This record gives sequence, C-alpha cells and structure tokens, in this order.
Amino acid sequence: MKISILAMTLALAYSGLTSAATPQQILAELNAKAGGSSVARGEKLYRGQFGGEIKSCMGCHTEDARASGRHVKTHKAIEPLAPVANKERFTDMAKVEKWFRRNCKEVLARECTAQEKADFTAYMLSLK
Amino acid sequence: MTRHVTLAGLTLAAGLALAALPAAADDGAAFPMPEGKLYLEECGGCHTAYAPGLLPARSWKKMMAELEHHFGEDATFGAEAEKAVSALLTELAADGRRANTLMRRIAGSIPAADAPQRISGTPFFKFMHDEVPNSFWKRTKIGTAANCVACHTRANLGRYYEREVSIPK
Repeated sequence: MKISILAMTLALAYSGLTSAATPQQILAELNAKAGGSSVARGEKLYRGQFGGEIKSCMGCHTEDARASGRHVKTHKAIEPLAPVANKERFTDMAKVEKWFRRNCKEVLARECTAQEKADFTAYMLSLK
Repeated sequence: MTRHVTLAGLTLAAGLALAALPAAADDGAAFPMPEGKLYLEECGGCHTAYAPGLLPARSWKKMMAELEHHFGEDATFGAEAEKAVSALLTELAADGRRANTLMRRIAGSIPAADAPQRISGTPFFKFMHDEVPNSFWKRTKIGTAANCVACHTRANLGRYYEREVSIPK
C-alpha cells in the first residue's frame, strides 16, 4: 500500500512537469539558443550517415519523416516524426530534449549541439 | 498434419497455463499494468511496454540501475521519473505483492541467483513460444522476440491471451 501511494505520487508529480507548446514555439526556443537555424543543414543531418549504433535518423524514421517508421532494433512501429503528419510532435520541450539526447547518442555517438537541434527542428517544421 | 498437431500442442500448452488463472481474470488483464502515462511513455517509447509481471523484481532493479547501457542504448529519463518507474516495476513484478498465479509461476521458474534481463530468455517465454517456427520471427512486421505487440495485439494492456494473438504475414 505504501509503495503504491509513493508510486502514484511520483507518477503524478512527473506528469505535472510536462507542458504543451506549439512546434513554432519549440523552434523559436531552439533558435534562440543556437542563434538561428537552417532547414538545409537540418535535412543534411536527417539524411546523413554517422558512426553510432544506428547509422542514420532514416534507419527508424524512414526516408520521409512524414511516414510511419519502425524501430530498427525492436521493430516497434513509430508514428511519423514531422508535425505535419503527427500533431503531437515538437509540442513538449522536455520530450524534444529527451529524444534528442537519446537519439543523437544512438546515431551520432554524441549529444547534438544547440545548432544541430535547431536545424533539425527547422527541417521537420518545413515539411508540408 | 504435423502443423495441426503442433498448433494443437501450442493451444493445449497455452490453455493449461491459463487454466491456472481465476475465471474472473479472463475479463481483465493477464498481467496488471502500471496506471497512467509514465510507464507507457518511458518504457513503451522504443519497444512494447512489457508487463512488469514478466520478470522478478531483482531483474527490474538491475535493469533500472544499468539504464545508461540499456541493450546498447542510453535509456535514462531523469532521476525522478526513474524512481517512480522503479517503484511501479517492483510493485507489479512477477514476485511482487500483486502477483497472480501466472506471475508466481514465472517467478518460480527463474533461479534465485539469476536476474534475467531478456524476457525472451526466460524458461516460461521459451516454453510458451516453443512451437513458433523460426521463419515467423523473421517476418518484417515481427522481426524480433522483443516485439510482443506484433502478435499479442493487446500486449501494451498486459494481455497475452491466445485468442488475442494475430500473427502478421
């Protein structure tokens, strides 16, 4: 009983930390940290081949970020990444940062720079 | 003919395993799942949100302690949230206080000195999937034994019933 109350409290406390934003607000925040962004550089990052365990973003998210993907290792279906095809993407800065941290390590074998995050997000938002 | 026999064997084995459950459990989940979005989001982001009842608490404890090297990936998601998930896993583990007959059976099949990390490596999993041909696992929509939800359509709800299995072509 004690454990279940603790678990519930922690779960509730955590869910309260997330906040909603628009993809444009997320991009503006990332742009402010990077001092601007480039859609072309973002696309190059998305399509690039790197030295991590998974070689490219396209490995899981496919050649078209507007399409559904599949995790290259676990084979779990992945919803589209581009906001035009999935309204939930780029609406929560904590989530955006979490997945950049995790996936940049996975693909680039290092964390992404503020510039790379802004460029990548600019490219995602440019997809119509 | 062989195919009929093996399928019958599989159904019988599953039937025997599930017959151990109370009849009322058939309307709910075979395994209790953590409530709320936290577990589903953090542990179901990259793979099936596995039912905590598939492994004993000591397995989950080890997994959460080694989250930075989680099957080759950094799966950390922040100390506070990790603490919350650890509590959920402990509570609903195969040897946890809410264990049902099936979960206790899984816990009992794992040697006390082991803290297995791969559900697909546990004796119970192997027994239940004994008759699944190798070629099935290699199908694009399945790909790996980690992909429960490919066939167990309601695995994210903790349900692994035979009648809810739909094997993709």
